[in-house]
Amino acid sequence: MTTPTHEENLPLSGIRVIDVATVIAGPYCAGILGEFGADVLKVEHPIGGDICRKYGTPTQRGDTLAWLSEARNKKSVTIDLHRREGVEVFKKLIEKADVLCENFRPGTLEKWGLPWETLHEINPGLIMLRVTGYGQTGPYKDRPGFARIAHAVGGIAYLSGMPKGTPVTPGSTTLGDYLTGLYGCLGVLMALRYREQTGIGQYIDAALYESVFRCTDELAPAYAMFGQVRERHGPTHNDFACPYGHFPTKEDGKWVAIACATDKLFARLAEAMGRPELASSSLYGDQKTRLENRHDVNEIVRDWCGSLTRDEVLKRCNATGAPAGPLNNIADIFGDRQFHARRNLVSMDVEDLGETVIVPNVIPRLSETPGRIRHLGPRLGEHTESILTDLLGMNADEIGELRKKRVI
Amino acid sequence: MSDENIEANDGAPDFSDPPQTPPRSAPDAEPKLPMQGIRVLDLGTFLAGPHAASVLGEFGAELLKIEHPIAGDPMRRFGTPTKRHDATLAWLSEARNRKSVTIDLRQQEGVQLFLRLIEKSDVLIENFRPGTMEEWGLGWPRLREANPRLIYLQVSGYGQTGPYRRRSGFAHIAHAYGGLSYLAGFPGETPVVPGTVPLGDYFSSLYGAIGIMMALRHREKIGRGQVIDIAIYESVFRQLDEIAASYGLFGKVREREGSGSFVAVPHGHFRTQDDKWVAIACTTDKMFERLAEAMERPELASSALYGQQRKRLAARGEVNQIVIDWVGALPRAEVLERCLNCEVPVGKLNSIADIFEDEHFQARGNLVRLEEPGLGEVVIPGVVPTLSATPGRITNLGPALGNATYEIMRELLDLSAEEIKHLRQRKII
Repeated sequence: MTTPTHEENLPLSGIRVIDVATVIAGPYCAGILGEFGADVLKVEHPIGGDICRKYGTPTQRGDTLAWLSEARNKKSVTIDLHRREGVEVFKKLIEKADVLCENFRPGTLEKWGLPWETLHEINPGLIMLRVTGYGQTGPYKDRPGFARIAHAVGGIAYLSGMPKGTPVTPGSTTLGDYLTGLYGCLGVLMALRYREQTGIGQYIDAALYESVFRCTDELAPAYAMFGQVRERHGPTHNDFACPYGHFPTKEDGKWVAIACATDKLFARLAEAMGRPELASSSLYGDQKTRLENRHDVNEIVRDWCGSLTRDEVLKRCNATGAPAGPLNNIADIFGDRQFHARRNLVSMDVEDLGETVIVPNVIPRLSETPGRIRHLGPRLGEHTESILTDLLGMNADEIGELRKKRVI
Repeated sequence: MSDENIEANDGAPDFSDPPQTPPRSAPDAEPKLPMQGIRVLDLGTFLAGPHAASVLGEFGAELLKIEHPIAGDPMRRFGTPTKRHDATLAWLSEARNRKSVTIDLRQQEGVQLFLRLIEKSDVLIENFRPGTMEEWGLGWPRLREANPRLIYLQVSGYGQTGPYRRRSGFAHIAHAYGGLSYLAGFPGETPVVPGTVPLGDYFSSLYGAIGIMMALRHREKIGRGQVIDIAIYESVFRQLDEIAASYGLFGKVREREGSGSFVAVPHGHFRTQDDKWVAIACTTDKMFERLAEAMERPELASSALYGQQRKRLAARGEVNQIVIDWVGALPRAEVLERCLNCEVPVGKLNSIADIFEDEHFQARGNLVRLEEPGLGEVVIPGVVPTLSATPGRITNLGPALGNATYEIMRELLDLSAEEIKHLRQRKII
């Protein structure tokens, strides 16, 4: 998705984003805006910077692979917001910004003399994304929050794992961060639209746990209406459809996922298994019957999958259009034709690391204005001088003074 | 869950003669919202794509759900059935804010009607298997000809290009194919469903909605629409932080991590004395220091012991055991209290029953209660994200099949009552 697009034609060209957030959720919102043309200034503490620089697998450059990938396209500017002079420099940046992403605990910006009212007064068109574990309001607002806690509070950790067994991480510990980055980004884009109509900025109050909870389909209405408490389902999920789950193949450690959401899809699976009669109305043709006989149906599918290699299961399912897929590990993904054809993996040179780093490409994929990755995560403070000079018009003496005092 | 042609299922009840649309509220009864004036045609089924429409609708867009006149969206039958014969609870919640308009796209006259709607709309969302729209004569060139300003979101399991494009895909498959399911569960054991089955539908919808917002911005500059091509598996894969980079650089294949995480220790789920669960996430050294303090063993956070993440990762088993023992000796309320006093990131593993009792969910208005005729109160998740000047809203739950067909045909497409009757008789609408 790195086809040449004139920068000025990208949807967010001309939009300046200040990303003063840490780790993933808030920064991911800024990252998406940057892929589509926004100028993203990562404002970091002069010592250490964003803790995401230490999150994940370290590289020889000192910061981690997670940082390199997720701080893509950003410029790093160091400012110490605990210092009055730092706050003054920051306010000047705010004057020239369209969007601010932050994820401090509620009250922190206020403590630094940067409450919303002040920011809004400095720049009435400013849009601020505020990401926290629990939101800016409510009894838990001051509690620290990470995505893992949000998965727990928002209800999906409880649902992950074997029935009655230890609840497991729902695949990845940072899902809730990405989700919140997405909802937050959507909020920012809607606020930009509203600003264009009215000139007025606003803030978006995004809580990690809320993004997680929003993605729980009918968990809430089913409890409210029928008192039904959903429990952990292990590898199969047969509340609504059957067969629907993970099945081992003949090969050790190679699994397939099968999802027969409708009767038609089950008929295709029955055909793939060479047993079309299973989908007859006298046997398991309708969802209701399959759900009532879920153990039998799952057993039939398990036996069939267990007798074949993964490739063979998939080949047969694909031949009849039955929905099945491999449980890919990252090695499988690197060898996968579809990932290559869609260019989901992009190699980026990191000059001062002397290595090529492979990262996930831009999503969403737009036909006229595809996003792009220009470079991976910057070194700490790499752009401090150029931004203070070019954007804020400060001279070398002023910058030298701030540096000496470790404000930047 | 994407894909699948609208199925004229023989067993499906006949909804072809729905009640008339109730009167609309006055347009100026609502404050101005960011998406006001944007009309979205949601031709998708289930959730991958439709959730994008939902969010836009919560913020003011007009949503027309286009459905097959007999079967409707299969989502109407997916989930827990209700007394309303055309709606599961999942449908009621996730088809919020829509009007239902029935059109049979397998009939030429249906296609013509649909193109007339396209002329009057801003956004089209669909999630058929790639090629289906073309079969109906509704490929992008035709849509663009009808409306050059149209923004077209296509969501599919594998995307519109590549060797697997024709394969059917649901989020459950995309979780597996995109690398998430492989990671859920204990090392060497059965991989489990990562929380819920439609997660990937929400992911792909959010990317889709972001794409739509960007395309709207571009359209304002250029005057032309464009296509957004979303694969569900890509939306899943994009969530996996540095998994690609670390395999690419170090050949490291991430495996299932049980209730923990490869990046930090202790970072997982712990059982309390009263057989409940808490999550603890010491993402940084500072957080661990606070936990050590909460455990009344501050020495654990000294540099000689486990003060640094590196050391804790190397001694993962021991560190986790210390936390397991401490948490296991106390009731959940006590663990929470001690951790919160020291500002340790901690949380209950809430079941839905816990959530309904939670004061914070209540204070934030995360559970929205709506009255549905014949069903009583339906409780659904509220709007996310929260905007300060233009908060979103939920005007109605998932509509009855075809509840707005008449209104839209009459008012938007200017058909006469007679014409509408004829279309209905032939089951085109």
